[in-house]
Amino acid sequence: MAAPSRPADLNAPVTATAYRPRRTPRDIPRFLLLCLLAIIFLAPMYWMITTSIKPETDVISTPTQWFPARPTLENYREVLTSPDGNILRWMWNSFFVAAAYTVLHVVLCALTAYPLARMRFPGRDAIFWFILGSMMIPGVITLIPTYLMMIRFDWINSFNALIWPGVAGAFGVFLLRQFFMALPKELEEAARLDGANSLQVLWHVILPLSVPALVTLAVFAFMSSWNNFIWPTFVVTDVDKLTLPVGVNTFSQRYVTDYGKLMASTAIASVPVLIAYLLAQRYLISGLSTTGLKE
Amino acid sequence: MSLSVPRPAAPRARGRQSLVPYLYLLPFMLLFLVFVVYPVGYGFFVSLHRWDLLAETRPFVGLEYYRNLFDASTPQSQFFWNAMKNTAFFTVVSVPLLVATALGLALLLYRPIAGRAFFRAVFFLPGVLTVSVMGILWRWMFDNQIGLVNAVRTDLLGLQPVPYLSSEGLAWIPVIVGTLWWTIGFNMTLYLAALGNISQSLYEAAEIDGATAWPKFRFITWPLLGPVTLFVFVTTVLASFQLFGQTLVITSGGPNRTTQSAIQYITEEAFSNNQFSSASAMAFMFGLAMLIFTFLQFRIMARDARGES
Repeated sequence: MAAPSRPADLNAPVTATAYRPRRTPRDIPRFLLLCLLAIIFLAPMYWMITTSIKPETDVISTPTQWFPARPTLENYREVLTSPDGNILRWMWNSFFVAAAYTVLHVVLCALTAYPLARMRFPGRDAIFWFILGSMMIPGVITLIPTYLMMIRFDWINSFNALIWPGVAGAFGVFLLRQFFMALPKELEEAARLDGANSLQVLWHVILPLSVPALVTLAVFAFMSSWNNFIWPTFVVTDVDKLTLPVGVNTFSQRYVTDYGKLMASTAIASVPVLIAYLLAQRYLISGLSTTGLKE
Repeated sequence: MSLSVPRPAAPRARGRQSLVPYLYLLPFMLLFLVFVVYPVGYGFFVSLHRWDLLAETRPFVGLEYYRNLFDASTPQSQFFWNAMKNTAFFTVVSVPLLVATALGLALLLYRPIAGRAFFRAVFFLPGVLTVSVMGILWRWMFDNQIGLVNAVRTDLLGLQPVPYLSSEGLAWIPVIVGTLWWTIGFNMTLYLAALGNISQSLYEAAEIDGATAWPKFRFITWPLLGPVTLFVFVTTVLASFQLFGQTLVITSGGPNRTTQSAIQYITEEAFSNNQFSSASAMAFMFGLAMLIFTFLQFRIMARDARGES
């Protein structure tokens, strides 16, 4: 049911008219409107990059310098060598935490979704609804008790606190269960007749057929961990342990009005996600589209 | 099927088999109980006691912290309801904008046009930025003196600069504009996918009947988008309730707490004031409000979706 019925590449022509794109004069206003909107959308990016390569005096000069007259990489050099924190270090922390979280989350969700989708045993539906019901709990309710638990575990300022509390997430189980349920029974039965046990069935039959769902889940998990802001803000204060979003925000509190440096740090922080976006664009959009339309 | 297939030791295999599913579930369920189920109960427990990290004893105080929230003379009550009001205001103003603008962009983009993939990427791109980057960017855009918005006002339009960030009321503009810029691509993508699934033959049939653009939208596109609109609406409302990073980074909740969100105040009470019990009580009140609202919204929207189609 949750299986994407059509490749989610939105660039692919989907309608009959798409095969014969006619350029009619009626399209011109639409095109111009889109250009205007694109300029508005890109303006902050333009302002970020130009500010980041201006010397400090040019940032605050009036009249406004629309185009950097004396471009310099000084802001980047200062941000990258700042004694207040190492932005590349934060990037690595974010990557490590997000990667560890993603692997654990996907493995755990797959192991859990498998029996819920393809085995019969007492209590199966109750367990599934119990897990699913947790999606109704607003995150703010567990924020403070989990923080107090982290103190007791001595996990404050530890990556454990960033990785473990979110690993058992209900959405991943739900997504994979729906996907596993839609797979044909015959392949599994054939493997069983060949003497495969359930783990072999999962590994050799179910998972290879579920790559789109697993990738979707992994991309979501990675992004949500990478962009997590509230939790790491409070659970990690040690400057070497900060994740990128929190680290950049500490810069923002320190250099309140030094926008040249702030823009250099935001530009550096944007680079990995922009690259990742370009690489993962297809999966990202397919995951988005399917979660919105099915189930 | 075939009687010749050997079935070795069936009863024993079944006896062993019955444990297998539970073994698969074990690791997840352990973590689930420790980090999802237990904290809910623990949080409620904390809210009923006077919790102090340094104190030896944590006396039971019952519903005192909940009562404080309804006692207008306590600062907790004033700040909490102020923050709740701010969050509600943000939700009421931003959600219709976020849904309508996303639909508008999708309608502009779903028919073929030169550079369609480029436009789609441009509108989606801001969404991949992390909230602190987005916040710093928009604080700079709306900087009181030299942000781009004020630069356009003064240098291009000859107007006076406006101190957006330090004016009560106006400080919402950077927050809402920034959020719009940041999240619109997400909703737009959902709408684009839904529009792509509408059969072109419906429009062709309508054209034969002489339908123009508006009736086609009103009687074909809009009703068929019902389920997606419901989904977009509910997820956007839930995301708006979670308002935290935008106001923290762009306005720091100011001026004068006028843009402080509920989660921001709850975390301030917990982690800056070390009032974990009071903050837990607020978290439960806020969570309850969210649950009730979500429930009502699902009922109303589901009924509307059924009525429309």
